[in-house]
Amino acid sequence: MISGEKIVQLVSGLLQQVYALLGLSAYAGILDRVVCAVVMFGFVAVFVMFLVWMERKVSAHMQSRIGPNRVGPLGLLQTLADAIKLTTKEDVHPVKRDKIPYFIAPILAFVATFMGMVVVPFDNKMVVADLNIGILYIIAITSFTVIAILSAGWSSNNKYSLLGGFRSAAQIVSYEVPLVLSLVPVIMITGKLNFSGIVQYQQQAGYWFVFPQFVAFVTFIASATAEANRAPFDIPEAESELTGGFHTEYSGVKFAMFFLGEYVAVVVSSAVAATVFLGGWLPPFPFLGFIPGFLWFMLKVLLVIYLIMAFRWTFPRLRVDQLMDFGWKVLIPITVLNILVTGFVVLLAGKGA
Amino acid sequence: MGAILSYFKNILAGFWNLVLGLSVTTKYLFKKTNTQQYPEERMPLPARSRSMIKLIYDGEKDQFNCVACMMCAKACPNSCIKLEGVRGPDGKRRMTTFKLDFSTCIFCGYCVEACGFDALTFVSEEYENSVYKRGSLLQDEQAMKWVRPPHLAPKPEEPAAAAAGAQA
Ligand code: SF4
Ligand code: SF4
Repeated sequence: MISGEKIVQLVSGLLQQVYALLGLSAYAGILDRVVCAVVMFGFVAVFVMFLVWMERKVSAHMQSRIGPNRVGPLGLLQTLADAIKLTTKEDVHPVKRDKIPYFIAPILAFVATFMGMVVVPFDNKMVVADLNIGILYIIAITSFTVIAILSAGWSSNNKYSLLGGFRSAAQIVSYEVPLVLSLVPVIMITGKLNFSGIVQYQQQAGYWFVFPQFVAFVTFIASATAEANRAPFDIPEAESELTGGFHTEYSGVKFAMFFLGEYVAVVVSSAVAATVFLGGWLPPFPFLGFIPGFLWFMLKVLLVIYLIMAFRWTFPRLRVDQLMDFGWKVLIPITVLNILVTGFVVLLAGKGA
Repeated sequence: MGAILSYFKNILAGFWNLVLGLSVTTKYLFKKTNTQQYPEERMPLPARSRSMIKLIYDGEKDQFNCVACMMCAKACPNSCIKLEGVRGPDGKRRMTTFKLDFSTCIFCGYCVEACGFDALTFVSEEYENSVYKRGSLLQDEQAMKWVRPPHLAPKPEEPAAAAAGAQA
């Protein structure tokens, strides 16, 4: 039977031999990390390409269209063609830009979200770094996108970019609160900040947290959508108001970085939702255990991503004031209330940490 | 208390409406698409759509129906039609050359209407009328030759029924 654990063992054994062959065994610790990073980057790049294709297909079929179907089977290579086009484009930039932040912003936007993938457990023991404080880490590191977006908006020396950057900062900061607060109930019940630990708790308990914590799940998805700047919360880049928002002045590879960062943010949020609320690598029924865990995990991630995509193609964009209203007057009170109720139940049941 | 209740009611109603919206789009996700893949799939136009003007050719008699009466040329507001005819051995006039300049034709259909000999007609099947050279739009009788398929043949009214209708 294939499982993530066995694959990891096999690959690391192979790597040890390669290191020994090259006489680099002393640096195995560092080299392992490098290999992990490269593999992760490859996985993310390919997965994002698939997601762009999926998004275009989903939107097309929701509008009774067919979508991309010319490049490759079912149009699967369309995104590859687009990526090649983007990377070979001329890098146009404004003359009066603020050079250093302008250059750093797209890199930060991508790296900040990409770092979140590090703690996501694909399967039991199949994780780059099983941090003790995984949830805290992921929340902290993905918030760096605000800085990226703000500096992108500021340094392009363009009023639309600046407005987009400000809106985005306001939005991300306010939606960060319900995002964290909707994870708190689960942390209260399990007493763990570690993703694998949360999944193991769900395995022992025999249920997924989406059932007792449905409200938290919904608020988490809503605030994660807002975090990733996706419609209906895509005010920072509302085309009709701000042309492109904070990435108006970016082109070529730098634009591709922002684009990639946005999709990776979606992947990270969906991965967190799948791990915390949908049981991560656990099969829905024990008898389906013969299917390897990472496949279940990917399936759940895709499910959540589909949900976020469906939001984009179903709901109209919110106005700026509605956005703030929704964040502060609806999501935050509900999550706080949910925490109170959960805490009460945990106290009564006498479990928890 | 009432305010708090209506607050939660509002949120629930909003949530329910969002779910309704999602269910609609999800339904469409699995519906058949309406896209026509044009070069591979062609839309069958209705039989009487006015896409191209053709000269009707009678396969049995091996001749065009046109008798060169010039009615169409006179009716044309843009003078796109130039034609010539001769009197044949049977004493009837026959068209020899027929030229229609589609670069100035506005597809008004006056020529089709003016023709009393069932010789000019609009067809539905040929609608890709763009060409690479302007001169290619000047079509002669060979280019406009069209044999009417049997299913489009005019169905004359039953004389008895028509007479009965006239009497009533
Ligand atoms: S359709 Fe109108 S413009 Fe064209 S040839 Fe006939 S009468 Fe002339
Ligand atoms: S009106 Fe009809 S019959 Fe007369 S010349 Fe024109 S096409 Fe021929």
